[in-house]
Amino acid sequence: MSSTTSMQVPLPASTGGGGGGEWRAYAGLGRWLTIAIAVTVVALPLSLILFQSFLSAPFFMPNKTVSLEAYRFVFDDPDFWSSLKNTCAIAFGMLFIAVPMGGVLAFLMARTDLPGRRWLEPLLLTPVFVSPMVLGFGYVVAAGPVGFYSSWWMSLFGTDAAPWNIYSLWAITLIAGLTHVPHVYLYASSSLRNLGSDVEEAARVSGASPFRVARDVSLPMVMPSLLFAGVLVFFLGFEVFGLPLVLGDPEGHLVLTTYLYKLTNKLGIPSYHLMAAVAVLIILVTFPLVLLQRRLLRNAGRYIAVKGKAARQHALPLGAWRWVALAIVALWLIVTVFVPLSGITLRAFVSHWGQGVPLTEVFTLSNFTDLFENDSLVRAIINSFGVGILGGAMAVACYTAVGFAGHRRNDWGSKLMDYLVLVPRAVPGLLAGLAFLWVFLFVPGLKEFKNSMFSIWLAYMVVWMAYGMRLIQGALMQVGPELEEAARSVGATKGQTSRYVTLPLIKSGLLASWLLVFMIFEREYSTGVYLLSPGTEVIGALMVSLWATGAVDQVAALSVINILMVGAGLAVALRFGVKLHD
Amino acid sequence: MKRFTRFALAVASCSVAGLAAASTPAGYPSNYASIVGAAQKEGKVIVYSTTDSAAVKPLIKDFESLYPGVKVEYNDMNSTELYNRFISESAAGGTTADLLWSSAMDLQIKLVNDGFIASYASPETANMPAWSTYQNQAYGTTFEPITIVYNKRLLKPEEIPQSHADLVRILKANPDKFKGKVTTYDIEKSGVGFSYLTQDVRVGGNAIWDMVKTMGSTGLKLQSSTGAMMERISSGENLIGYNIIGSYAFTKAKKDPSIGYVYPKDYTLVMSRLATITKAGKNPNAAKLWLDYLLSKRGQTVLANDADLFSIRSDVAGETSMAGLTKQLGNSLKPIQVGTGLLVYLDQAKRLEFLKQWQQAIKK
Amino acid sequence: MTKLIVEDLHLSYDATQILKGVSFHLKAGEVVSLLGASGSGKTTLLRAVAGLEQPSSGQILLDGKALYDGAKNVNLPVEQRSLGLVFQSYALWPHRTVFDNVGYGLSLRKVPQAEIKQRVQKALDQLGLGHLAERFPFQLSGGQQQRVAIARALVYNPPVILLDEPLSNLDAKLREEARAWLRELIVSLNLSALCVTHDQTEAMAMSDRILLLKNGKIEQEGTPAELYAAPKSLYTAEFMGSNNKLSAKVVSVEGEQVKLAGDGWELNGLARDWLTAGNDAQAVIRLERVRVVDGPGDNRIKAKLITAMYLGDRWEYLFHQGGLRFRAYGGEPRDAGDYWVEFPANDCWVFAAA
Repeated sequence: MSSTTSMQVPLPASTGGGGGGEWRAYAGLGRWLTIAIAVTVVALPLSLILFQSFLSAPFFMPNKTVSLEAYRFVFDDPDFWSSLKNTCAIAFGMLFIAVPMGGVLAFLMARTDLPGRRWLEPLLLTPVFVSPMVLGFGYVVAAGPVGFYSSWWMSLFGTDAAPWNIYSLWAITLIAGLTHVPHVYLYASSSLRNLGSDVEEAARVSGASPFRVARDVSLPMVMPSLLFAGVLVFFLGFEVFGLPLVLGDPEGHLVLTTYLYKLTNKLGIPSYHLMAAVAVLIILVTFPLVLLQRRLLRNAGRYIAVKGKAARQHALPLGAWRWVALAIVALWLIVTVFVPLSGITLRAFVSHWGQGVPLTEVFTLSNFTDLFENDSLVRAIINSFGVGILGGAMAVACYTAVGFAGHRRNDWGSKLMDYLVLVPRAVPGLLAGLAFLWVFLFVPGLKEFKNSMFSIWLAYMVVWMAYGMRLIQGALMQVGPELEEAARSVGATKGQTSRYVTLPLIKSGLLASWLLVFMIFEREYSTGVYLLSPGTEVIGALMVSLWATGAVDQVAALSVINILMVGAGLAVALRFGVKLHD
Repeated sequence: MKRFTRFALAVASCSVAGLAAASTPAGYPSNYASIVGAAQKEGKVIVYSTTDSAAVKPLIKDFESLYPGVKVEYNDMNSTELYNRFISESAAGGTTADLLWSSAMDLQIKLVNDGFIASYASPETANMPAWSTYQNQAYGTTFEPITIVYNKRLLKPEEIPQSHADLVRILKANPDKFKGKVTTYDIEKSGVGFSYLTQDVRVGGNAIWDMVKTMGSTGLKLQSSTGAMMERISSGENLIGYNIIGSYAFTKAKKDPSIGYVYPKDYTLVMSRLATITKAGKNPNAAKLWLDYLLSKRGQTVLANDADLFSIRSDVAGETSMAGLTKQLGNSLKPIQVGTGLLVYLDQAKRLEFLKQWQQAIKK
Repeated sequence: MTKLIVEDLHLSYDATQILKGVSFHLKAGEVVSLLGASGSGKTTLLRAVAGLEQPSSGQILLDGKALYDGAKNVNLPVEQRSLGLVFQSYALWPHRTVFDNVGYGLSLRKVPQAEIKQRVQKALDQLGLGHLAERFPFQLSGGQQQRVAIARALVYNPPVILLDEPLSNLDAKLREEARAWLRELIVSLNLSALCVTHDQTEAMAMSDRILLLKNGKIEQEGTPAELYAAPKSLYTAEFMGSNNKLSAKVVSVEGEQVKLAGDGWELNGLARDWLTAGNDAQAVIRLERVRVVDGPGDNRIKAKLITAMYLGDRWEYLFHQGGLRFRAYGGEPRDAGDYWVEFPANDCWVFAAA
């Protein structure tokens, strides 16, 4: 039949000799190039840190010698052991607070008819994008010994001290745990949403009440992702910095990151080798967690293998319990979001505060007007927007390229990437920033970029790579392999398949990643400190320097502006239909 | 040399037509115009500083109007960042600061000793106190008393410590009121805090350790930043802050009626922000201009009146100047000597020894 | 004895009406199939009986007790209806072993451990799964998974078992075996079952009665033979069996006898609808009723054989005649060419054109 023969158009890419082969070679080359670049930008600063930890002086000084002195010093220092102990306590505490709470939140939001879910969702994520330093400072102002709410409590109940102490290790752990709930929530809710409702219905038909369905079916089935999120939270517990920096000082509670920060000054002159040694130790402690995460991810796969029908999901009616559930969510929101943010906002609008100071008398707008007289601030706002919006998009593009390089492959290249992307997050931002300063100073040809936004962007991109990659990989995993296989079978190369099938399918995932990366970049504060120069100020790093010089008024005002910026970005994105997850 | 001078003069007179002559202050060497000319050719001076850029704005404005064509690229950061950035950048051989202006006096002297700093005999040297300069390389630019800050609202007049001994007495007299209410630098985290306490011990001897012990017995709250301390004293979370730089206290007290500060009557330490011209800088002449301007009567007047720093010149009067303070406090002012003495505690063993002593002293 | 009664059931998603008044009875020990094309509302009806969908009005009674009554505002939650439901996807819990999957309903009913063990084992043995109790669902084949799903739904002796496309996830060969096996199981255990399917062969093989649904309404209800042999509408006639469909004009109507004319052919048929001479009509005839014959005669058409396809137990022929295209079965291979084909008048059902 003539019509069938005319359809047998030869495919140049698959059957053609030279041309197709060459194209495929380039595609493979592109992938290895991506891997090589990614490995370089991650490994270079890390290896500088590793190298530095085995020296006795800054690596660029002539009087350096190779030695283990740094490790000896650290192991002999009782502060190290106490900070290690505190860090473990905080990390475990976070695990036990954030995982159950995040799981419950996810179930309520994804599977039930909890009232007000639409507007709750963006609020739930607030702690992710508000810098922990701002949160910490907000808590001091709001709930410290003489904070706004503490004072109200005291006058209300006639006590002379509030029943809580935000400077205790308990409080730091609690706050760190509560502010990490959204991390668990994000993972748990997306896997709950992917869970077919048929398995839950099967349990109900068998005679299980909604509560038992949650306990016996939903929860165990999202357990792999809860475990995964749990390991992530534990991992993040090792790198909390802003909160213990602000809240840990008054009672002297050190964690590994603040211990590292303390080493900056302990010997009078900055002791790079000591800082590097601590960073290496943090990496050593957290690396097994990375391995564990990978194992968990693999095990999670077998549950997905039996997939339910992706039918419309039926929200579980909570009945009267919905108000109890709403109260729990509201309580968490009040403690984690409302208290610190209202604290910092109040602070921004008063000249001073404290016991016996009536707020009406000290109300002022001068904190803001002072800020706008400062041109570096105006630049900082523009730069922050730039690094968040443009830089965020570029970062997502890079993460996507890296994601594709490892997508559905299992060779050593993609394995290497998997491990490597997680490591930068284990290095505290401040030291990572310093390492990037070294990279820009000592790698030939990069010096020109040192005082440009590029240096700040690159550091942000690498430091947050683990986070961004998870988002992208999550989106990539959702694309059914048969859709890609179908493209391959009609003759598309891997690259063509990616462009024609996979990329369009993960578009909404990429938009959501862009939004999250934007928010993360806006709040980042420690990484940029060493890369700041006139013209390249960003809000986060500016706040750190203002804090050091004692300009608390401006820090508060700047925090409010920062929060408003992120809020505006979030609102615009949601308005244009970006979904935080599918 | 002569040809060069003439050339430079020609350039200078061409480019700024007379302004150059007018801007050479009285008593400056005749060849100063050549420095001005060269500086104008350089076009900018890169300053790394620990002083808040908002406070320094009037100084920069005045300087740029005095030497048109020389822009000040001002970077403010904390003293550790400043040191880190500078040594990294100069080791890499890239663009770095022309002038460092830091409150970490010990680190500045260390940079001098490590050979990072250029030598320049400022024509203003004669107007400076002898203790405030070091080998034509480090210049003290301010005269800032170290104060005790307190909360005006919550302390009765008789509870305000007027001297170090007074502080001990007041804390011991009312331990309940001051429990957890005294704050000072965590000297392990703050280089300046460490430096002031070592000076305290140098001037006040063992009595200072007794004072530290008394403070420790109240459940001392340690902070790493001045801002954190001031904020908490203002709010009443803490009542007394020990060893806070006077210029911060002065600025804050102007805006905040809760903040009060005293210069201890027995002795008041005085710190000075040190300016140094770097060897690695690309604009040495502009750096010289900025240094001389900072030390000049004109610069010091702006510094004292508009920037809320304290002038180090005896011919600048007012509340925020050495002259004014000396009138008020006389011999009890104890300026920290600029010199190698500052390096003592950069020795690791000595420093750790001091820290150990301090840790034992503040233990409850 | 009537087990399940559904009375005038209405259900809609937002503005879309899914069920528009469905009524039927299910007697004890009877298997009823809900048959229909996709979108006919058959699965929704089953889920409404199970309690997984919320009807807007009507009644669902089980053994005389209301599971749902729109007028009296009765709506028993799913878990209290105690029905057995086999999901199309099986919906086995991947984190539980086969034993735990099956035993869950019993442990929810507070049956003692020892009894659970014995009853689950019995159910599994009955379904030939006895040796797989400790496996996880992902370690089983599709057929085994289906049996586990059935065992899970049967183990607590529900009064009625609901099956949602129970065979659709199996491959064709397995499906036929499973069909027989399932029918045998239902008969031997004397189960009352309501079964959703889109496959008419499956529906006929498995059930005592069939409800054919169309757009949320019952199109026709009856035994498989009634639906197959005596369809009351064109839709039913076309839905059941393999058919040839001939468009034609009505030439004359005499009682049940109709004369049709097409492009170069004439046929007599049986009126199944209200017909008027001169109007358009549709004739439907099952493939197996069309016969290839030796020569001309009554109700015979000469047509060109295009191809013959071997089906193993018979041959299927494809004929063209002008614009007409039809198929027939036969016992022998035939070469392309012209043949006479007979359309027996009694098997040629004529409906008014839709």
